Amino acid sequence: MNLSELKTPAELEDLYHPVMAEIKEVKRLSAMETYYRVEMPDGEELGHKPGQFVELSIFGVGEAPFSISSSPTLKGSFELGVRRAGMLTDVLLRQQPGTKIGIRGPFGNGIDVEKFKGKDVLIVAGGIGLVPMRSMINYVIDNRDQFGKLIICYGSKSDQDLLFTDELAQWENDPAIDYHVTVDQGSDSWQGKTGVITTLIPGLDLDLANTVCCICGPPVMYRFVLLSLKSKGFADENIYMSLERRMKCGVGKCGHCQINHSYVCQDGPVYHYPDIKSMQEAL
Amino acid sequence: MVQFYLEGDRVSEFVAHLMKQKPVYAPHRKGQKSFSFEKTENAEDVVLDYVRTMHSIKKFFLPPKEDLLHFDLTKNESEPVEIPMSEAIFLGVHSYDLAAVGRLDYNFTVGSPEKNYLTRRQNAIFIGVSFEPDKYHFSGSVGIRPEDNTGCDIFLTKLFDGYVLEILTDKGRELMEGLSLPAHDAGKPATGHFHQHIFVPQAKLSEVMEHSYDNPVWEETAEKCVGCGTCNLVCPTCYCFNVEENVDITATKGSRERHWDGCMLRKFSEVAGGEVFRESLASRQRHRIFRKFKYISDQTGQPWCVGCGRCTTYCTAGISIVSIVNRLIGDYERAAVAPI
Repeated sequence: MNLSELKTPAELEDLYHPVMAEIKEVKRLSAMETYYRVEMPDGEELGHKPGQFVELSIFGVGEAPFSISSSPTLKGSFELGVRRAGMLTDVLLRQQPGTKIGIRGPFGNGIDVEKFKGKDVLIVAGGIGLVPMRSMINYVIDNRDQFGKLIICYGSKSDQDLLFTDELAQWENDPAIDYHVTVDQGSDSWQGKTGVITTLIPGLDLDLANTVCCICGPPVMYRFVLLSLKSKGFADENIYMSLERRMKCGVGKCGHCQINHSYVCQDGPVYHYPDIKSMQEAL
Repeated sequence: MVQFYLEGDRVSEFVAHLMKQKPVYAPHRKGQKSFSFEKTENAEDVVLDYVRTMHSIKKFFLPPKEDLLHFDLTKNESEPVEIPMSEAIFLGVHSYDLAAVGRLDYNFTVGSPEKNYLTRRQNAIFIGVSFEPDKYHFSGSVGIRPEDNTGCDIFLTKLFDGYVLEILTDKGRELMEGLSLPAHDAGKPATGHFHQHIFVPQAKLSEVMEHSYDNPVWEETAEKCVGCGTCNLVCPTCYCFNVEENVDITATKGSRERHWDGCMLRKFSEVAGGEVFRESLASRQRHRIFRKFKYISDQTGQPWCVGCGRCTTYCTAGISIVSIVNRLIGDYERAAVAPI
């Protein structure tokens, strides 16, 4: 490698320095999850694609990757759905609107929406897998004429853990959306389906030749959803999935997010299933 | 090319001549058998005839600990850290360590070029020295000979009583101005032979690795391995890091600090919620070896192992990277001859 062909280091961007963005809105989604709406400085757009993530940091506490939950069609700010899982998210939970947090990104490849255009779109989301998938769902809803049918399968531990319940009700009532939800264990008041997410798939009315699917959920979910889709006759090339790993730096350097040869922060988090079928660490 | 003769007795004079121009980092003796690259304060402390240092010169370009930014908690503000430009001479570098710098150059320029590494790296001057392979070196098997001077501005080849000094670049020529050395008209001695070998080239190794994913050697190695990550820390081409916050005692100021991390450590692949994606030591050993001979190598055509032998030398459990790789080669070849 010839270093002299590069820009001089002084001209290079500082990859690790965040911009200070402002929390504009905080809402409790469930016992463990919280919604944040964040505004970039000087009214700038984050400029992301569905399925991408940001590195969020609070000085003195830490930095971690979070999926962007809003569609790029939402202008002026972006949204996150954060599960309480450690020190950073504990501290984040105590923040009020007006607080400034560090943001780097957007990072990752995101969903290639061109591959979904003109097709029926099937979204399979388990638990907080709904957070990143919501960026695609709302993108499809805001660009209805570019896509076929929108089919959503959402599974959650319990009805208490369902996220974005206002929007779920809208999706349920929207005749243009084929919305299905199930919970592993429902409370006494739960009227809907009970069972794991794969129980939703056999009953779906799918135009197999013209449907593209995107999956996101806890690690254990993927292979069972894949089995269900395959037994339904779904072709591998119509399946995309967003994978979770520890994307510490976001810029393909730190090594934490690697799956075999692939840096999830560079080649993912959204993978075309045929590309990772033979990657043994992927699923 | 003009060759000069640097008499053994004049090495200190040569080092002092360099020190007058720029800071000189060179091998120093730390114990009977241990050496370390240090900033030279006394020319006499430099040891050019050494086996290997525990850490390569990687530590100067990717420091074990480094502040990425400084923050002020009272104002919720941060400022970038000034990265010192290293106008320094790295003296006494073995060919495998310079090859490793070339590998890191790739890692830190591909995709998003990294300011921190490249700023430190850009103005480095290298003076290489030939080495006598010990029982752990195997760089010859990955195409790196003891007399390779690739990337050097000046190269020294060990003679019985001194060194043949070759000037390879304009930078090297400038450094030598003002120091008069006699020309060396005779030849250069052949460097010693290696005691350890990997028996197939990288092109074939990639194929071997392709068929070695489920080889029992990973489990067998894991039975000995204690998962300490020493092999990662001493590897001159390992560059993975973690980032943590440091808050000072006043709780008002601090830094975001990165430090070396290693894929052999369990927490390396852990995500929020506790899922660990390479839970077994066997899978971590495989990842380490594939990182050196398959993953990046398939993209670049080069092994990311430079054959320095450090991971084997310093392994607390006596695990040998050469033995692992040769075992994979043997198993692959046997399976090819007599498919089971």
